[in-house]
Amino acid sequence: MKSLQLESILKGRNSQPHQLIEVLQDVQESYGYIPEEAMREISKILGVPLIEVYRVASFYKAFKLKPTGKYVITICNGTACHVRGSQLLLDQAVSQLGIKPGEVTDDGLFSIEHVNCLGACALGPIASENGSFLHHMTPARLRKFIESIRHKEKEEGEHAKASYEGRPGDYAAAASPR
Amino acid sequence: MLHYVTVNIDGAIIKAPKGSSVLEVAIEYGICIPHLCHVPGLSDIGACRLCIVERVTNGRSQVTTSCTLKVQEGMVIRTNTDRIKRLRHNIAELLVAEAPNSRAIQDIAVRCGVKKVRYPFRNSNCVLCGRCVRACAEIWHANALGFVGRGKNRHVERPLNMREEFCKQCDYCIQLCPMTIPPCDGPMKPGEEYLCGKCESQLMITEEVPDSCAWCRLGEGFNCGRYAGLKAVR
Amino acid sequence: MQKLATREDLETTRRQLLLDRKKTDKTIIICGGTGCKASRSQDVIDAINQELLMQEMDATVNLRVTGCHGFCEQGPIMVIEPGNIFYCHVTPDDAHDIVSRTLRDGEIIEKLLYTDPVTGEKIRTESEIPFYTAQDRQLLSRNREINPCSIDDYIAVGGYMALVKVIDSLSPEEIIHEIKVSGLRGRGGGGFPTGRKWAECYEAPGDEKYVICNADEGDPGAYMDRCVLEGNPYLVIEGMTIGAYAVGAKKGYIYVRNEYPLAVKHARLAVQQARKTGLLGEDILGSSFSFDVEVARGGGAFVCGESTALMASLEGKVGEPRPKDVHTVVDGLWHKPTILNNVETWANVPAIILNGADSFASKGTKGSKGTKILALTGRIKNTGLVEVAMGTPIRTVVFDIGGGAINGKAIKAVQTGGPSGGCLPVDKFDLPVDFDVLYEAGSMVGSGGMVVMDESSCMVDVAKYFLTFLQDESCGMCVPCRLGIDRMLEIITDITEGRGTMEQIDLLEDLADTVTQTSLCGLGKTAANPVLSTLRYFREEYETHINDKKCPAGVCKALIEYSIDPEKCTGCGRCKQACIHDAISGEKKEPHVISPELCQKCGICLSECKHEAIQVK
Repeated sequence: MKSLQLESILKGRNSQPHQLIEVLQDVQESYGYIPEEAMREISKILGVPLIEVYRVASFYKAFKLKPTGKYVITICNGTACHVRGSQLLLDQAVSQLGIKPGEVTDDGLFSIEHVNCLGACALGPIASENGSFLHHMTPARLRKFIESIRHKEKEEGEHAKASYEGRPGDYAAAASPR
Repeated sequence: MLHYVTVNIDGAIIKAPKGSSVLEVAIEYGICIPHLCHVPGLSDIGACRLCIVERVTNGRSQVTTSCTLKVQEGMVIRTNTDRIKRLRHNIAELLVAEAPNSRAIQDIAVRCGVKKVRYPFRNSNCVLCGRCVRACAEIWHANALGFVGRGKNRHVERPLNMREEFCKQCDYCIQLCPMTIPPCDGPMKPGEEYLCGKCESQLMITEEVPDSCAWCRLGEGFNCGRYAGLKAVR
Repeated sequence: MQKLATREDLETTRRQLLLDRKKTDKTIIICGGTGCKASRSQDVIDAINQELLMQEMDATVNLRVTGCHGFCEQGPIMVIEPGNIFYCHVTPDDAHDIVSRTLRDGEIIEKLLYTDPVTGEKIRTESEIPFYTAQDRQLLSRNREINPCSIDDYIAVGGYMALVKVIDSLSPEEIIHEIKVSGLRGRGGGGFPTGRKWAECYEAPGDEKYVICNADEGDPGAYMDRCVLEGNPYLVIEGMTIGAYAVGAKKGYIYVRNEYPLAVKHARLAVQQARKTGLLGEDILGSSFSFDVEVARGGGAFVCGESTALMASLEGKVGEPRPKDVHTVVDGLWHKPTILNNVETWANVPAIILNGADSFASKGTKGSKGTKILALTGRIKNTGLVEVAMGTPIRTVVFDIGGGAINGKAIKAVQTGGPSGGCLPVDKFDLPVDFDVLYEAGSMVGSGGMVVMDESSCMVDVAKYFLTFLQDESCGMCVPCRLGIDRMLEIITDITEGRGTMEQIDLLEDLADTVTQTSLCGLGKTAANPVLSTLRYFREEYETHINDKKCPAGVCKALIEYSIDPEKCTGCGRCKQACIHDAISGEKKEPHVISPELCQKCGICLSECKHEAIQVK
């Protein structure tokens, strides 16, 4: 299954080195990160030296070289969010999960990212979880939100995972009362 | 057939082949512009910024790197103004504070007038000059080394950490690396780094006659092209 | 959507679309921009759709989902025509009432109206809200007219008339002349005269030329380009088509940053529709002019907003800037002549062509013409996107539009131009939004980000924040930027942690000057601005950090202490429960105490306390 996805991404792109970034983006979307084998295949098909594929994959923030956690907590560190205290949010996430931005927790559940602006500046400080925005966040709210995910994961086990995938809004609604 | 243009560097009117850079022309003529990432025969990227000069057009002067600046008819260049000297001093200071454990970089710092370093010393073993990367890509096209990461995380690495696959064992990377030239007294202990300045005595000769090359042994440190050429002659 | 082969086809289609619009006499406009989406506007849209079906009004009411209206703080936003009724903070539960009472009977629902924070009055229409009245919304006002996923909407309200005028009656030289006379300057930050850029590219030798739209808006806190591209992508494409006609390009690229998925989606959709209708492709509208556009995504790098880095990225390489001794208008994408302009710059082009350069130049100051969209955020009441005429004083933007400070704290400074810009203190608020004036003052208009800070912001911390950002985003190639920013950050960190000395300030200034003069690209060249401008205007704060080892704003963790005011503390115990470092002790109903040794200054207790008893000094 893995190589089929890659094959379809690379189809029609033989010897087109300028397609490198688009290809990597498709790979990132399909696999959630850029596997080593994918980099080798890309190097071969596109005609780009392997070091160059590796270089581009490591240069851009969009490409992850390792798989991310199941729940990616993204904290916006844009200027507007910063003056509203986003640094405290980041500190909270780091201390609560015990990992630094870019790392994954041992149980594979969480990883933290911090980005330099999500573009919803009027509603900051913003934390986002898998695309769902949580606005006007405080360290306390973030703490509760992360705890609620942990709680759900523990309680409901496999069944929860399946039902979550269909309704991403639930956790977000619970954590940010209007 | 080579075309030539006439350029003015520090008052010297020089006939230079079209397509060459200001740095190449200056060194050839004997005007020593300090440089680190430039290697004769490899492409120039303007990464170290040591070779900066002032380009004067219509009374306004612009600071730019001479290694990336191609000569043009009527160009006026100043390589050693007070402004350039101070800027070059600051850049060299940053370099030597970052990696004092290299004779090449110590020599460059002294050549650029650094007498004391105002930053805490660090002990990096790479200044990201890119000589190894470009040599690997351009001499034997091995592409066994490259820059990876961005900003502070930028470093030189082999593709996915595999050496055997691509490396042609030509050793150019080791020969060109400024960090493989240890200071005269050997590597400095962490916490005991200092600015060596032993070659300072050579500096005075170069300062007196700024327009000519003093064959200043400082060239030994960073593989100055002229030094290598003169050494071959002598 | 059929193909429009000639200008006459376009005109006929426009007339038909306008007639169709008249068929429904009621329109409900809901903002679907990213800001309102974050406030769940999609749920509102779904609820309204359902209500319209249930109340059998879907045939007579036109539901239009648009791009950003600018007043993101008040989202989800809704406007109802006729009557121009403005509703804010709309929830899905309001849908039933909105359809049955407002749409059906024309009755206004008071609780959904905007309340003026000063007078307490309810305001009915958008045109009476002070946030909007003080603006000059030449570009932004169009967003409510069109659904960004419908080229028909754009054509109906007059879209592509500028392109028709170009094809019918203007030569490339005339177009370039018009842009020159208008005084349009780059809206992405550089402020370079657009007409001159186009002229240089036009004169450059070569048959293969390119036009690029820079939508890699990386300044944190700025989202103007996102709003324009999400809300009105056709305007940008029309501008690019005119530019391509002027310089002789056949291919264009819109480079959108990776973090804007909706903008990418809308831009791609717009290109597809333009191709289908023949407004992109071969022989556009019956002329012999051919032009096509491709939408490319960035990979997540601020440095790719720099023109040569962007072009490298389009070529599939890392976003490393190249030296610009030869300009990109001569040697650009694939080493061909290229004009690269910002989204907002392109968006201004059609109006200049249609209404004439003088109309555009009639607004603004001598050196800065037209209007500018600003992202007004920070510690003020009304945050969002605003558009003002160049020359408008900062004071007007912050107080009349922004509504002044929140929480009664005093406003201290405004940061303009993103990480390449600087901070200006309150006594400089009479300065106008003008490229040259702000540059002289040590800041810049930049892309339009304007962050307002109050006394709770520490200016040294602000400099540290921007340096940290730039250090993260620097490509790392050249020494002054990579090592220089690093060392400046090292010094500023020393200062924020109580180890600073006055000699370090001199070193900081010397280093900042070197980084500015010797860096290879714009990122490095402007990296020192936050430091230099805060040193220029807020030197006392630096000195207090160094000499008194105190942070007056209460931000720098090493120099502050959290404590509980015993007079305000009711002993409710919330902070003690919430504290994750077990640093708070106290009995129920007795004033609690924070232990300075255990306190990590994480801020949780501060956000939990309902009695304002936690003090930070």
